[in-house]
Amino acid sequence: MSLFFLTLGFGLVTASVLSLLSVGLSLQFGVTNFVNFAYGSYLSAGMLFTWTFSAKLHFPFVLATVCGVILTAILALIVNEVVFEPFAKRRKSIFYMLIVTFGLSLLLDSILQIFYGVGFDKFPIKQSAAIKIGPFDFTGVQLLIILVAVVSMVVIHLLLTRTSLGKKMRAMSDNPDLAKISGIDTKSVTRATWAISGALAGLGGVVLALNTVYFETTTGDSLLFVIFAAVILGGIGQTYGAMLGALVIGVVTEVSAVWVSSAYKTDVAFLILVIMLLVRPQGIIASQGKA
Amino acid sequence: MDIILGYVTTILVFFFTYNIFTLGLNIQFGYTGILNFTVITFMAIGGYVAAVLAMPKAPAGSGIYYILGLNLPWPIAALGGVLAAGLLGYLIGQIALKRLRSDYLAIVTLATGTLLYGLIGNGTSIFDGWQGLFNVPQPFAGFRTWTPLGYSIFFTIVTAVIFVFLWLFANRIYKSPLGRVMRAVRDDQDVVEAFGKNTFKIRMTAMVLGSMYVGVGGVLTIAYITALSPAGWTTGETFVVWAALLVGGRGNNFGAIVGSFLVAVVFNEATRYLPQIPAHPNLIPDIRYVLIGLAVILSVYFRPQGVFPEKKNTFFEVPLGDNSKTIEEHLAGGLSKVGEQ
Amino acid sequence: MATISNDPSTQVNVALEVESLKKSFGGVAAVDGVSFSVEKGTITGLIGPNGAGKSTMVNLISGALKPDSGHIRLDGHEIGGLEPHQIGARGLIRTFQISREYPDMTVMENLIVSAANQGERLINVCFRPSVGKKRDRELVERALHTLVTFGLYPLRNEYARNLSGGQKRLLELSRAVMADPKVLLLDEPMAGVNPALIEKLGEHIVGLNKELGTTFVLVEHNLEIVEKICSKVIVVALGATLAVGTMAELRKNQAVVEAYLGGDVRERVGS
Ligand SMILES: Nc1ncnc2c1ncn2[C@@H]1O[C@H](COP(=O)(O)OP(=O)(O)OP(=O)(O)O)[C@@H](O)[C@H]1O
Ligand SMILES: [Mg+2]
Repeated sequence: MSLFFLTLGFGLVTASVLSLLSVGLSLQFGVTNFVNFAYGSYLSAGMLFTWTFSAKLHFPFVLATVCGVILTAILALIVNEVVFEPFAKRRKSIFYMLIVTFGLSLLLDSILQIFYGVGFDKFPIKQSAAIKIGPFDFTGVQLLIILVAVVSMVVIHLLLTRTSLGKKMRAMSDNPDLAKISGIDTKSVTRATWAISGALAGLGGVVLALNTVYFETTTGDSLLFVIFAAVILGGIGQTYGAMLGALVIGVVTEVSAVWVSSAYKTDVAFLILVIMLLVRPQGIIASQGKA
Repeated sequence: MDIILGYVTTILVFFFTYNIFTLGLNIQFGYTGILNFTVITFMAIGGYVAAVLAMPKAPAGSGIYYILGLNLPWPIAALGGVLAAGLLGYLIGQIALKRLRSDYLAIVTLATGTLLYGLIGNGTSIFDGWQGLFNVPQPFAGFRTWTPLGYSIFFTIVTAVIFVFLWLFANRIYKSPLGRVMRAVRDDQDVVEAFGKNTFKIRMTAMVLGSMYVGVGGVLTIAYITALSPAGWTTGETFVVWAALLVGGRGNNFGAIVGSFLVAVVFNEATRYLPQIPAHPNLIPDIRYVLIGLAVILSVYFRPQGVFPEKKNTFFEVPLGDNSKTIEEHLAGGLSKVGEQ
Repeated sequence: MATISNDPSTQVNVALEVESLKKSFGGVAAVDGVSFSVEKGTITGLIGPNGAGKSTMVNLISGALKPDSGHIRLDGHEIGGLEPHQIGARGLIRTFQISREYPDMTVMENLIVSAANQGERLINVCFRPSVGKKRDRELVERALHTLVTFGLYPLRNEYARNLSGGQKRLLELSRAVMADPKVLLLDEPMAGVNPALIEKLGEHIVGLNKELGTTFVLVEHNLEIVEKICSKVIVVALGATLAVGTMAELRKNQAVVEAYLGGDVRERVGS
């Protein structure tokens, strides 16, 4: 029983990490309507940038994180401006957009590797002692991760429901043509979306690195399909679905350690992805659009 | 002289195997529009399975572990490897091809690649984990006493023959009614489906065939270098194949040859001679991948049809040159093949 | 109202029958219990205001969408819930509201690839290449005839992506002919086409109907052409059948005029 609660606690932390990452991917998909296969690189960039600010430039960790996240958002914006915008202008088909993001993942990863090299690193912070909350034992860092995720989800919710930007994003997500006709400046909404997606990837990358302690340039890519699993589980392009998907994948993959070796955590995520695609490809929260 | 010849044969084997990968991806993407983002995994599965079928049982207490070890003759082992690659393609197809979305398939291929990479690397008893297999038997090595160079030349010829056969077959598919329907699926799957054709079956055929092609390349690769470990099939290698296809020209098998030559041989070999920087041993491979990634993106942007675009297909025509008759009268008089216009 | 006869003697003449068909998207009923029948060898119009559910009906009948409930019968056999390719193979071919040619194939290839039974099997590629070649010869001949009929002959070796909007419409129709359909379901084949070409497309449809006996279901906003070529017109609104009759009868029908034919359409019809 205690093993169950221990893993459930891990699950909630992993779910928190995943929620940031899958919401970031899903928001962008909803607005631009193509899957970003380079998302893992943004994630790695976020943790590595933060590492530079924190370990090399000796910024306080919170400030380092803020800088790292902003830098990742800027990276996402630049990539949109330099790569995706020109392609969108040429009206390339979805095939080619996917190939381009795929090629981009190799490009960005390799550039990161040129600067950061291969091999593992960690943030220069101390692990704190465990704090007991109900049946769970959490470290301070884990509690912080959960807090960051919950606050971020609330912020995203408010953004989508209360701000005009959020409403425009949802309108583009529901019906891009209609959104354009009704006078929404789709270009700047797309830009804002990329910035938010990049920021969430960066922040998700940092909390991921906090959770796993050690990381390297390929950490983002190895987590990519777990993020996909969460996103597809929730219904691709559905923001709240992505939150739910992250919760399910996070908890199930960690709790599965009760029965199977925790080395197979990500395989469990893959299994969920496969079952989902076979049984209910539209996701838990179905959007019946785009037949 | 021998050194140069040995080098040439190695390059040639490399060229032919990459060509076979590219042909496989061309059948999947160029013909049918299937996005396979883990080409290299099929190479690995083909190679590994052929290897463990041909190798003897792993010696006990040697610290080397792998499954099977059936000591089968090479042609049978090779066939097993190719079928295993096809089976992997079939399973991925079952998961992802029923749905209409092309991004789901891309996601599933990528996820399968990541998963198998981890499973094979961490699972020390499957294909000996990160250490990988070595001492893989070479085909027909026991036929006679070969000099190393003699064997290399012999192997190059075997590879060349297999390549030519696969090239001709890929062309035959392209020109056949099946290839035509595949290209229609690539252009608009819903319409083909509405015209009463089972597009799942057609896409599955392309998926499995392409996977088997890549599997053949894998079988040949491991047989030539007699070893394979996960370090030899990182994600980056998939991009090399994509770059070769996109640079050469999707849908055009001649383009696939040119692309393989430019990317896999010229580019790969050229970057090999860049000076090593001791402080930064990975710099050269990293720069190589930056350039490959750029090649993929730029070729899609500037010339998505590649250096050698797909050729226009023409059919039988009414005899030309006689303008006195109407087209209807010509049609009544039968058809003849007229060359390219 | 829809008159669906249960008398077996008249059933024989029914090519397509739709009964209480329903489909909703997230709680919104796009098709809400529509019923109608289409007699063999006729050209039947299907009209209704924007958003009435016409395209959704076409998608349901052709299997692109699965109905929530109701029946669709082709030649008396239930086809509701079948896969699109199964329905296509049974002789019901549909076209799309927006032209969907195969852009990277030539006009000729667009036609040939649309024929049934081309021998498109791997086993033929491996062992019996002559099967495909022989059939190809027949298909090429038929395709050339069709292209001549539709005036696309000079464009036969042009990539379909390079065709004009009107030419693409002609291509769609000629491609559908290649499939030898029993029932041809056309979703707004005249949308965005100039008046001269509308006339021509109408003539082609009438011609095919006369020569080959193909049954047509024509979803169309252009009521002039509907009046001209359709012997029977079904009016749908809010996903259900509103009225059935000839165009002349419908124009007298107060419900139709009020619910659908409103001001702007009356102008178009010119009454
Ligand atoms: N995939 C879908 N998801 C959600 N709603 C849909 C979907 N397809 C259609 N609808 C809705 O169903 C209703 C009927 O749409 P449909 O396209 O069938 O109308 P239509 O009669 O063909 O209109 P038009 O004349 O403009 O082509 C509309 O309100 C539309 O918004
Ligand atoms: Mg419509």
